[in-house]
Formats: sequence, structure tokens, C-alpha cells
Amino acid sequence: MPQQIGIVGVPPLAVIRQLNAEQVRIVDLDEPQLVLSIDQSDQYLPRVYCAILRTVLLNALNLRLDRIYVDVGPGKCDCALHVAAVLKDILCIPVIATRNTDTEGFGHPICESGLPLIEKMQRITKGVQCCTPSPSSLACTPTAGFWGVPPRDFSILEPFPNSTHIYGWTRCMENKTPADLELEAHCNPAVPTVFFAQSFCAKTALAKHLAARHPKALWVDSDVSASSSVRAKIEAFLELSGVTGGGCAAG
Amino acid sequence: MLLADFGTSYCKLFDTEQDTEPRIIPARELPCDFRADIGTGHNAKRRSRQTVNELTALAKGGNRLIAEPDFTLLDCGSRDIKFVHFRNGKMADMGWNAECGASMGFTIELLAQYYRIDYGQVPVPESGFSVTCGVLGLSSIFDAVAAGSSESEAAAKFVRGIARNAYQFAGSPQKLHLSGGLCGNPLFVGCFPCEVVPLGRFVLLEGLKRPPHDPMNLSRSLL
Repeated sequence: MPQQIGIVGVPPLAVIRQLNAEQVRIVDLDEPQLVLSIDQSDQYLPRVYCAILRTVLLNALNLRLDRIYVDVGPGKCDCALHVAAVLKDILCIPVIATRNTDTEGFGHPICESGLPLIEKMQRITKGVQCCTPSPSSLACTPTAGFWGVPPRDFSILEPFPNSTHIYGWTRCMENKTPADLELEAHCNPAVPTVFFAQSFCAKTALAKHLAARHPKALWVDSDVSASSSVRAKIEAFLELSGVTGGGCAAG
Repeated sequence: MLLADFGTSYCKLFDTEQDTEPRIIPARELPCDFRADIGTGHNAKRRSRQTVNELTALAKGGNRLIAEPDFTLLDCGSRDIKFVHFRNGKMADMGWNAECGASMGFTIELLAQYYRIDYGQVPVPESGFSVTCGVLGLSSIFDAVAAGSSESEAAAKFVRGIARNAYQFAGSPQKLHLSGGLCGNPLFVGCFPCEVVPLGRFVLLEGLKRPPHDPMNLSRSLL
């Protein structure tokens, strides 16, 4: 049975290469892996805290893992640094903090493809586990934008058309340069864009700032799951901005 | 065609072929099998053949009723508050607070019934409670009454706190168009520190009068 290794954030490519060479099974601890109440994390983390990192702790407590790599620093966040310290204290397995400052860009074709937005997001998060670029995809002309991190609850992405381009840290993920602030801050002023951050995440500041400078923007944050009001806000924003279902044209 | 704004406490109805004026029915009195052709509001999904997002209905209704290129329209409902802000005839900002504004209109009505307060007879207080929502604000009322305030004075300070919160949520505009049942509450309207234009409780219903999911309609009128 292969070793099972948990990762948090986007560890450096050297780490991923090593894990691939060891032929271990990589588990993304940022994503919900178990059907368990997130309140279980309250034992170690405040309830008012980033839902992604609460999910990390929930997964780490309940999955059989051999070791964990937690990326901290400019490619992730200070909260991850602190959660890594908590995990080191409460778990019996190695918890290794990494600092991803990789600068070699691998491109971001999925972000600009015409796939459904949820599928784009799934492919990009899965892509963190390998050290090759995303397969090339036909770029589509954007009619909407989603800026931000992969949300804890992907259902927030349902209202978007296929012709939505992804910006922000998710684009950095696909490019395998998670600490590239310039790429993270890039967005397209020509398309209505939803700027998203997890509630209680430091990236809310950047999301709000960029949204204020964008001519057609909606800034939203969401905690554990997407509330009906957040979904309704996004739906209304897209509708009132004239964004319709997404046909995808080359360009 | 039967249009409906299925609010939490009240349902507003308009039959385009029979009615000349909208009708209001308490939500609790609607028959279980009641259905509208097009609906919006908290209970629309289970009671309508076709639903329209509440913010969309508010924006479209405001766009029909307000003949100004720049305006802020705030809808204060039983359980939430939402606003749209138009600039140069285009939607520039929006917001919907379904958590911290929770149960605000509902709580104001409950207070009036329990304490037998006529809000038309209560003067606007010079100061108010700092309240974030109806439920949390009740403690302030109970504390004030225990400290010797009259019930109506305490309720007035609560209403002022709610109004000021809603005002800030809408971006603190100099002029505010107000939608919802609280337009009929003189105390609530008087507590805003700006010019208020009450539009009544049928703005969302007005927003249903155009066919929904008509992108041409939306993009021409709002963008």
C-alpha cells in the first residue's frame, strides 16, 4: 500500500517531484475529504477562522497519513504557518513546513479554457499534485471573471458561464508560482468579475482592493459553505451585468 | 399572469389580467398549494413556476420607478436588507445582508404588537442602540427597560439603531430610496440621517413585470 501524504497549499515543485518519484498517494488537505462536521476542528482552532484551514485540520485529524507538507509564507498565508505549528504539536507524524518561492511559470491554459468553471477549478487543484504543465486547451473569449482562491464550497461557482476566466491565486496555482503577487493581482477590467476570498482570510484585503478598482466588480466572501445570499448576490451580479450562458469562442 | 413577491411575513400579489392594484396577504394565510407564475422573495422557489432573484427584481423595479440616473435603493424586509446603487443609469454596486440584518423588520413588528406601540406616535430619539440585527438588539431593549426607560423609548432607540445600520450598509448616501413594508413606519423612516424617498412595498413586484431571463431587457436598461 503506497504511503499517503497530505499537502496544504502548493508545496514547491521539488517536493512534488520527490513525492511523485516515491509514488506516494497525495491527498489535498485543503479540500473536504471526509463527510464530517467542521465543528470538530473547534477543539484546536477558533470557530471564527479560515474554513480552508479548519478543513485542513479536520482532514489531518481523521485521515491515515504518513506525513504532511504545509506550504507557508508568501505562497500561502501566515495562518497556514500557525496551523502547521498546531499540527506539529497534536499529530504523531512529520509535519514539514515549506516555503514555495518557485518562479518558473508553467502557464494557465485551464484558467482561460471554456470548461465549466467547477471543472476548471477541479483540474487546477488536482494539477498541484503533479509537476508537469496543464495540457493545452483552447482559450475562450471571456464573458465573466472569477478572481480568488478555490472556494471551500465549489457550489458558489455554479452560476458562472463556461466562458468565465479564472484570475487570482487560482491562476498562480496553475502556473505553479503561488507567491507571484503580480500574477495574483492581474485581472481583466473588460469583463464583469467576482472577487472572492474565504471569510477571515488575509486575501480579503486584496480582493476588496482590486474589486474597488475594477469597473465591473462584485466582492464577496464566504465561510464554510455558500449561503443563499452569497449565491443570490453572484447570480444577480452576473445577470444585471448582462452575462449570459457561456458559449466559447477561440481567441 | 400572477406575479408574487413572497416575503417572509407578507406576500405581495399582482395579477396582470385582473388586478389594478397589488394585494397583500400575510404569508401565514397562504394556502399550502398556492402557486404564482413568476415569483421572487424568500419563499419563491417553492411557490412559483418561475423565480427571479430578489436583487434582480429590486434593481429592475427601482429602474422602473426612479427617474434618476444616480440613486441608491434600499429594501428593508422582515428578515434581511438589500440595496442596489445605480450610477449613470447603470448598476454600480449591490449588497444583500441576510445574516446581520436578520429578522429586523419582523422584530420591529413583533415589538409593536407586544408592547402595543404605535410607531406613528413615537418621536425620533436623539440617540439609539448599537445593534447589528433584530435578535441581538432585543437585549438592549430589555436592559433599557430594566434601567427605567419606557418601553416605547427603548423600542425607538432600537428602531433608530436598525435604521442607522441599514443606512451604513447602503453606503451612507445623501438621498435614499426606501423599499419594503417599513416605508409605512414613520419612526423608522425618520431615523435615517438623510433624505428618504419611501417607494412602498411593491418595488420587487414592479421588477417582475418584465419577463425574467431577458438579457436584452436587462443589459439595455441596466448597463
